[in-house]
Amino acid sequence: MQEYLLSLLIFTPLLAAVIALFIPSTFIQAFRFLAMMATLIQVVFIWQLVTAYEPSASLQFVEQKSWITLDLGAWGTLQAQYFLGIDGLNITFVCLTVAIMIIATISSWRITKNVKGYFILVLILNAAIVGTFSALDFLLFYLFFEFMLLPMFFLIGIWGGPRREYASIKFFLYTLLGSILILIVLIGLYISVLDPEHSPKVVHTFNMLHMTHPENFISGSIFDPENPWMIGTINARAWAFLLLFIGFAIKLPMVPLHTWLPDAHVEAPTPVSVILAALLLKIGGYGLMRIAFPIFPEAALTFSWLVGLLGVVSIIYGALNAMASKDLKRLIAYSSVSHMGFVLLGLASLTTEGVTGAIYQMFSHGIIAALLFLIAGVLSDRTHDRMIDHYSGLATRMPSYFAIVLIGFFASMGLPGFSGFIAEILVFLGAFKSNTTNGLIHESLAVISTLGLILGAGYYLWAIQRMFFGPLHLKGEATIEQLVPLSYREYLMLIPLCFAAFFFGIYPQMILNWINPFTEGFVNIVVETGKRLTPNL
Amino acid sequence: MQSLNGKLNSITESFSFFVPELILVSALIIILIIGLVNNKRNYVFNFITLIAAFSSTYFLVTGGLDVNVILFNGMVHREGFGAFLMILVDAALVLTCLMSIDHMDRRHISEYYVLLLSIVLGCHLLLMSTNLLMVFLSIEMISLSSYVLVGYSFNKAGSEGSLKYFLFGSVSSAIMLYGFSIFYGISGTLDFSSQQFFDSLIDHPSPLLLIAGTMSITGFLFKIAAAPMHPWAPDVYEAAPIPVIAFLSVAPKFAGLGVLTKFLLTIHVFGQSDYNWQLIIAGISMATITFGNFSALWQQNAKRMMAYSSIAQSGFLLVGIAAFLPQGINFMLFYAAIYLLMNFAVFIYLAYFESQGIHSIPSFAGSGKQFISASVGFTVALVALTGLPPTAGFTAKLFVFSALWESYEINHKTLLLWLLVFGLLNTVVSLFFYLRIPYYTFLKSGEPLGIIKKLSFQNLLGFILVVFIVVMFFIPGLLMGLINRINFVL
Repeated sequence: MQEYLLSLLIFTPLLAAVIALFIPSTFIQAFRFLAMMATLIQVVFIWQLVTAYEPSASLQFVEQKSWITLDLGAWGTLQAQYFLGIDGLNITFVCLTVAIMIIATISSWRITKNVKGYFILVLILNAAIVGTFSALDFLLFYLFFEFMLLPMFFLIGIWGGPRREYASIKFFLYTLLGSILILIVLIGLYISVLDPEHSPKVVHTFNMLHMTHPENFISGSIFDPENPWMIGTINARAWAFLLLFIGFAIKLPMVPLHTWLPDAHVEAPTPVSVILAALLLKIGGYGLMRIAFPIFPEAALTFSWLVGLLGVVSIIYGALNAMASKDLKRLIAYSSVSHMGFVLLGLASLTTEGVTGAIYQMFSHGIIAALLFLIAGVLSDRTHDRMIDHYSGLATRMPSYFAIVLIGFFASMGLPGFSGFIAEILVFLGAFKSNTTNGLIHESLAVISTLGLILGAGYYLWAIQRMFFGPLHLKGEATIEQLVPLSYREYLMLIPLCFAAFFFGIYPQMILNWINPFTEGFVNIVVETGKRLTPNL
Repeated sequence: MQSLNGKLNSITESFSFFVPELILVSALIIILIIGLVNNKRNYVFNFITLIAAFSSTYFLVTGGLDVNVILFNGMVHREGFGAFLMILVDAALVLTCLMSIDHMDRRHISEYYVLLLSIVLGCHLLLMSTNLLMVFLSIEMISLSSYVLVGYSFNKAGSEGSLKYFLFGSVSSAIMLYGFSIFYGISGTLDFSSQQFFDSLIDHPSPLLLIAGTMSITGFLFKIAAAPMHPWAPDVYEAAPIPVIAFLSVAPKFAGLGVLTKFLLTIHVFGQSDYNWQLIIAGISMATITFGNFSALWQQNAKRMMAYSSIAQSGFLLVGIAAFLPQGINFMLFYAAIYLLMNFAVFIYLAYFESQGIHSIPSFAGSGKQFISASVGFTVALVALTGLPPTAGFTAKLFVFSALWESYEINHKTLLLWLLVFGLLNTVVSLFFYLRIPYYTFLKSGEPLGIIKKLSFQNLLGFILVVFIVVMFFIPGLLMGLINRINFVL
């Protein structure tokens, strides 16, 4: 069974979705328990996966089956595979996905509108996210990547807040624009890349691992590193890198392509916000690390200054926006933009510390963002009002909620002892080291980005001060009677996340052991291959 | 010069390869005669047409896709590329018949089927023509029948649409005919697959060739509703009954596409032509995609929206030709087959919703709750037209654009790169309008409708097509294997 663990992880929620189709829509509890069952079964599988996983740079749990093999006559053969595998990069994300999905399912208990449709979409989304993280064939990756869009569109559009229609369309258009840019590169890549296992037969492959080796490119093809031909002032490979960068940066999201995120978050129901922030954003960073950087390393080196700079801009701009936000959810959404900036900065440094920090930041943000959106959900479930200045003195009325908010906010601020701290310190180390080791980004970027921490402390502490301190006082529609204490269901979601944020802050070694072998290999390959190919750029 | 006897022999021999067309003609005559006696029984005519379409398809398939014979003294040329498109046209006829089963309230029922059959016959002939005169006659055969068919809702709008179509069609035919006559003047032959025609293209490089070529393809562009000959489409689509639109959006388009491909490859003379037809067709394709998609954004009427959508889809089909590679043509055929499925699925669902009293896009509001299976199927069909996975619409776009990349790799023409980028970015624009119907069905809430007929034949038919669309994404080899057997000859 071990060799099929990844498929089992992907197909369990899909199977549950199919079963749900045949249950009459009046059995509301059935759908909730079915979704819960599916995620719990996934936990069993992920447990086996984690225990059997050996930290090393190599791929494990590989499943490679032929999927589409098309004979195209003189032009050769087109080959797409059902190719899954786990390494140090994606094991963290697959684990995170399963964990967050449990939380999201518990949080979905409160959904009462069209429960059947809701859980079917969540289950499809679940499968698509696991698939995206574990696919190693570009076409398969793209399939899962696009497969996330429609469920997400409907989840925001049907179960969202008052401006849900606007937000869902905006989300869809932005993400589709990004994925079209990725598609352009995808088509160019498979035309250019040959499967060496079949040589000298011409087999065009979508295999991402083959794409990372420059020798697999057909000589004279558009993405051939030896190809001297320019489009404008840079060559096709540099364009391809930029297209992929923009495509994934929209998903991340990066300033100035982030504007869909606050709207989507503000309108989405709590569990959907949790999935969006904790998982979907990570796919942007994951795509950069899995596809853009290793396949076009020389372009990555050339443009790393841009990646780093935009990362810093995201950190500062996101933080400033968070500070100006009046809506608690919008504040958290902008803090996500700010935190994702660290991912770009760490990645741009292309040092072991920086990239490890970037991956750790994504993992840690997955936990903390889920926690923060649940915190916002607690409030909006009670009063349907998330305006920060409508509340004051909540600490006296809901002390245990206040304690959890403190943990969540401090963890997100990057206070030592929480997972965010480890991630950000690694990113800073990498960004500082970069100029002296590989000379990619300047130290000043690291210095400026520390401002993000100060601003972060600013907006969080200010929000706490406004909402929780002082005399108990509410403005707007909300009444004090609505502010009931946390329920067991809410504790069940919040406490494990608080614990995880804390645990991975004081004992990061477990995750770092997974990430590190991958990062070392990744940095070496990207920098070395990149330097080898740079003269061609 | 052949003797009369030889000519007669050749004609009688040709008939053995002409069975599908003979079947269509016989069915046409039979329906016409029965119609004279009793013109009330829709199902009889429907049944005869279905039988004719199926048996014509059967003979096309058994004839093989690697067939290559010249018939009737060089007037027509039966080969695999045309045969594949003919199969698609026949399939369109089958689907149109199935869509027309419920439409019992129409007047002149037998004539309806006669017109459908004569369009299909015209498409068959056009797809086999290598003679300019034959091309003209076939196009007119399609056009004249279509003008009448468009008016088949027997109301003022129908007559208006029909008249507009007629005026536009006659002008473009005239321009096309003028182009043909110049070609005849230059080459002295009407057979554009002949060596004489080729030689004259190479021997006489003159601007006249550019003018003649442009004028000739105008007529083909009219048939496939590509820019700049597209403005008729919205009015016609809005006026005509849905089965007629579904049919007209597919059958004449494929016939036009087939003859356009052959004609362009001829006047391109393997790149030896003085004029770069590749850039011209790439430009037309880009303009068509952009016009179609951007105009569709503002439409409130689902039929008008589909008209612009079909214009944009023509642009995507032209991308396959614009690559000027054998693979590009095969991929275009793949796209055409998928387009047939997608378009019919959408129109079948539109007809279904129209029968429930839903006409404009805003009136779809809230219908998702009442017609859940139809709405989901409809959404899948529209997503396929947008070109997103996991539908075959994505595979088809992936294929035609790969051919374009490949072509760009070979000749480094910047316009092809622009077409690639613009074409794909247009997908984002198209999402905006394709998604409007699901947006209203699922996201908006509306008044529940009174009478609901949930299970219907149309619903089932739509579902089958949707299943095909999804299956073709996962196993494109089924169709591509068939297309690869085509031996493309001019």
